[in-house]
Amino acid sequence: MIAQDKLTHLPERFPYSCQWEVTCRCNLHCVMCYTDCFNRPAAIRQELSTVEILHIMDELAEAGTLELCLTGGEPLARPDFFQLYEHAIRCGFLVTVFSNGTLITEAQADRFASLPPHRLEISLHGITHATFEQVTQGQGSYDRCFQAIKLLLDRQIPLVLKSTAMTLNHSEILEIKRYVESLGSVTYKLGEEMRPELDGGAGPFQYALSEQALAELNQGDPYLWRDACRRDSQEPPPCRSGMQRFHIDAYGQLQLCSGNRRQSYDLRTGSFQEGFFEALPAFACDWKSPQEPALIRPEMHHV
Amino acid sequence: MTPTAIYTRHPDYVQRDVAGECILVPIRRTLTEANSIYVLNETGAALWNRIDGRRTAQDIVTDFCNEYEVATDQLTKDFTSLLDDLLSIRAVEEVTR
Repeated sequence: MIAQDKLTHLPERFPYSCQWEVTCRCNLHCVMCYTDCFNRPAAIRQELSTVEILHIMDELAEAGTLELCLTGGEPLARPDFFQLYEHAIRCGFLVTVFSNGTLITEAQADRFASLPPHRLEISLHGITHATFEQVTQGQGSYDRCFQAIKLLLDRQIPLVLKSTAMTLNHSEILEIKRYVESLGSVTYKLGEEMRPELDGGAGPFQYALSEQALAELNQGDPYLWRDACRRDSQEPPPCRSGMQRFHIDAYGQLQLCSGNRRQSYDLRTGSFQEGFFEALPAFACDWKSPQEPALIRPEMHHV
Repeated sequence: MTPTAIYTRHPDYVQRDVAGECILVPIRRTLTEANSIYVLNETGAALWNRIDGRRTAQDIVTDFCNEYEVATDQLTKDFTSLLDDLLSIRAVEEVTR
């Protein structure tokens, strides 16, 4: 018997890892959020029901999916979140949850502790009250987020804290990183990517940092600078989305990845097997190489 | 391995078939186990599937040897090693009678 953290011998095309945007609803309205445009009652009513999600989840388990990331919106804003989460854990998925943390109470932290996730990733966009809530547009969110971090740490939940660097918070990023490092077992991730809103709106880009500001930020920390230099010095590998990774949106649309929703396969009307093995291979991606390389198997993808 | 011992699979482990590999996923993992999954080879998976909380370890070895062409000594050795591993991660437990 071998203990591993990842399977290494997978077929070239295999549905190993799923990112599932289970809702676009959210209690916050972060300024750079690309899903908040669908955080409206009419759109929310179109989202997958509990029964539909459980059915698709069972299909994924049957197909062999191992890594399952539940994201949003704010996944905990779904009233049925823990029903979905606990089903996923009991199916044997390695479950990662992306959350803003602000809906995690003591009772919910206890539920996470009783069936722990593979990883819980919380967005931490500011270290001061003012900056944090300027980003989230949610009064009281700063205190609730930090309270959730404490509750989860007390219960030894595997935690990642992450920020998106933008004009509103770039002066606090290094301080956030130092705070995270002071927590010991917690990993920090810094994102730099801004995306257009799902309805095509360009709102988030007004908060994007210039290349020079990003470079200055990264130069302020040896680890960030090393990562930035590594990224800049390498040609990005051809996109592998759709080969071993895929995305499902809040309406049951199977897509190559979160950043490419140009083509979809409807999991409400078709099977996951058909969607993954027959529809997805034909979906277009600007980042795919024209021919699959025969000898190289890059592991990175562009999202 | 105690030949007369009966082992049962712990419900906190979920068995998955992923791309032909038999994997045990702990669902109540601790922080230090957060990234671990356990991969069984073909023999390990076949033995795991025979651990049912009813048959003794010796019964399982006997059944297995009747079904496959394998030396009893070698299989007993392999099963002992597997049980040690499974017990160490609490994926199986001995049934008290």
